[in-house]
Amino acid sequence: MFFKKKKADSLNSMNQENIEEREMIPADTEDFINEMKKRLHNSADLNIKDRPNGITLIFLDSLIDNKMLHGDILACLHDGKVSPDQILKDINVSNVAKYPFIVEAVDTMLKGAVLIHTSGHPCIVSASIGTQEHRSLTRPENESQVLGPQIAFNESLATNISLIRRYLTNPNVCNESFSLGKQTNSGVSILYMKGIADEEMVDRLRERIKNIKVDSVLDSSTLVQLIEDNSYAIFPQMLMTERPDRACSWLLNGKMIVLVDGSVQVIGCPQTFIEFFQSMEDESVRWQIATFLRLMRIFSMIVSIFFTAIYVAALTFHYEIIPQTLLVPLGESRSRVPFPPIIEALLLEAMIELLREAGARLPTKVGQTMGIVGGIVVGTAAVEAGFTSNILIIIIAVSALASFTTPNYMMGNVIRVLRFPLIILAGLWGFYGLMIGFCFLLIHLIRQTSLGTPFLAPFYPPRFADWRDSIIRLPIGFTNLRPLQARPKDRFKYRIRKSNKKE
Amino acid sequence: MKVLIEPKPQNMVNTFLLIFVVHSMQLGVGIQGFQRIIYLEAKHDAWISVILSGVASAIVGFVMVKTLAAYACSDLYGIQYDVFGKWLGNLMNILYVLYSLGGFHVIVRNYIEVIQAWVFPELPNWLLSFTLVFLVFYGLNGGLRTIVGVSFFSVILSLWLILLLAYPFQFTNWDYLFPILESSVTEILKGAKQMTFTIIGFEIIFVIYPFLKEKDRVHKHMQYGLLFTTILYLGLMVVSLAYFSGGQLERTIWGTLSLFKIVRFPFIERFEYVAITFWVLLILPNLMFYLWSASRGIARIVGKKEKKINWLLLAFLYLSLLYPLNRMEINMMNDYFAKGAFYIVFCYPFLLFAAVLIKKKFFRKKGGANVENSN
Repeated sequence: MFFKKKKADSLNSMNQENIEEREMIPADTEDFINEMKKRLHNSADLNIKDRPNGITLIFLDSLIDNKMLHGDILACLHDGKVSPDQILKDINVSNVAKYPFIVEAVDTMLKGAVLIHTSGHPCIVSASIGTQEHRSLTRPENESQVLGPQIAFNESLATNISLIRRYLTNPNVCNESFSLGKQTNSGVSILYMKGIADEEMVDRLRERIKNIKVDSVLDSSTLVQLIEDNSYAIFPQMLMTERPDRACSWLLNGKMIVLVDGSVQVIGCPQTFIEFFQSMEDESVRWQIATFLRLMRIFSMIVSIFFTAIYVAALTFHYEIIPQTLLVPLGESRSRVPFPPIIEALLLEAMIELLREAGARLPTKVGQTMGIVGGIVVGTAAVEAGFTSNILIIIIAVSALASFTTPNYMMGNVIRVLRFPLIILAGLWGFYGLMIGFCFLLIHLIRQTSLGTPFLAPFYPPRFADWRDSIIRLPIGFTNLRPLQARPKDRFKYRIRKSNKKE
Repeated sequence: MKVLIEPKPQNMVNTFLLIFVVHSMQLGVGIQGFQRIIYLEAKHDAWISVILSGVASAIVGFVMVKTLAAYACSDLYGIQYDVFGKWLGNLMNILYVLYSLGGFHVIVRNYIEVIQAWVFPELPNWLLSFTLVFLVFYGLNGGLRTIVGVSFFSVILSLWLILLLAYPFQFTNWDYLFPILESSVTEILKGAKQMTFTIIGFEIIFVIYPFLKEKDRVHKHMQYGLLFTTILYLGLMVVSLAYFSGGQLERTIWGTLSLFKIVRFPFIERFEYVAITFWVLLILPNLMFYLWSASRGIARIVGKKEKKINWLLLAFLYLSLLYPLNRMEINMMNDYFAKGAFYIVFCYPFLLFAAVLIKKKFFRKKGGANVENSN
């Protein structure tokens, strides 16, 4: 409850600041230049160019395109007395505007505009001629797949939106932009499809983004933690993707996406738990294969969370449940191990985590060596030295492998960390502890919401029509309904009868 | 206290989910060992007792829904207040709250006993009850939707346990069931009465009714839930009767758990360890709903928020669970609770229904407008 109060407070303070900062632009050139210099603290790249007829150009060298400055601005400014309105007409740049306030002027300049001040007029004309520094579009690295488009978002907001607009040539794609962060003023955009997305949901998201009062938004992954429903939760409640086609499929299902300038990942919401285990490729392959893959991912999630813990519980407390034929090899391999199963398991799990973490930060070439040293040398040595049992190595390797099948990196991380508390619970109270852990996770998941919609849908609350595209995927003819999760205004993607005629 | 309540739309749940709520509430610790208790009364005709108790639950369920339907949107607490007046009504409300708290206590006691008898003899009471109380607290904080969700998943995720009945099924001897109707009618009826402890739980409808979305479909889904439970109990009873011999059944305290003993997979034996620990998930909805209905009752009487009362009740229950009881005392407690539950669940609803009917008939014209159903 105290969160709401905080948000209200921050809103008030924001309004007050705005009123204070609404300072008009001085009409006098000298005053204006001094003011600008003061505001930018005599920055070295602040370029001030006086023209004879009372026109002053101010811009940041580092941000603007020199070619445009010469060709489209300087060449168009006439000599003689001119008014700002005249300049507005003369300049050959598409993005030109007139501003009366200093704050706005500084803002646009910081985004790559040149400010044109005319002596005697309390306003400036700003023309955007900023350079677009961005790398070229590349293949998706984190969500690579064999089928489907091979293109990923990059760090430029404009490019990312243009990518989406290419996929969805539709006037109903709405784009609302905000700037966030007291220090960074990063551009943030909400995209949604009018006529499909639920207006109430869009309002909710808009409110959440507007109410954020932070210093900086450097990446969408930090923004998502600010706008998701419960930032204390174990599981992420909003999905991020770097694939434009996936973002578009969300839009088409009535969801909203949030783009942040300077970040590769876009945020999609509302999402369900099950969507963290889906990949875009499931749509491209045959439905039988997609179903198989999805079921396998769910299975491997369960395996990677519980497998080691079950081993620990069974070997610490419940020897009876292991059949005799299995007990003999287990006993043989454990006979040399001096530790109780919980220590043994935690030791090895920690080692795997070390390997993974070390490998993640290293250059690829060194990373490979790392894998060989860690996996083969240390693993074999640990068994030979009698530190761990062979069977545990297999179990841990399988559960590590299984945790990589989760298509989403964030969820993969959660799963790999969740193992530790469960191993400890299993080591303390056997299957009972494991079950307590499981029930806690279940209640926790039931309690979560994503943008106010239930996180475990379509399973709870049960929406049987949406099960067709959940942990299974039925043939494309059956998945003609948009999931209810985002409360789409138009439930039908297409009508089966009309689209199914193949002659 | 207001007789009628208007729950917020975001707290309402689909009527369809009532099936799961009713079924998961009925399924609890009773099922772990109901075979012996019924067998002692009705011998090998115990399965008839199960059917009779199922029929009785259906009738009582019908009466309960009819009672609730006489009001637009009210629960047991409001109805008792309206029918019996302020003092007597609130006294009845407190009795029902006590009954709910008793249900919670009895379930935790029985489950802890099972855990200590089968899996961890040394694990102390305070730890086991603390973990359960913690889970209940965490779930209750999520509101009614979370509790209903837990009961939904508890049913769905434990359906596979039914399939395991196939293992004892291989070793059944159907001769044990014959001759049919050897026991007298009174014995069978007594057996049916002994089912009380196992079959109760559906009285949750009294409290959850205002929170269901489509009121006209409540009765249908209630009956589905009851039917599902009855079929499950019947199947379990028949398999147990045919699997165990009479003498064995008399000495088997936890018949259902003993059935799991022979389940055997290539990678797992002695399945009862898994089943018993898995039972946490089956008793969680019971605990949550009992505590929820108790704290709702107090909240309705006192007029405070439920969340604060949850704290107090759970702390109180936790302390009461620390008091050591031996096997005999737990048995006695079960019997007392079952006796009380028999009157509260199987007899009292008829009385209440009659009272509501009388009130409706004779006091309609005297401006008791708020009790009338809107149609």
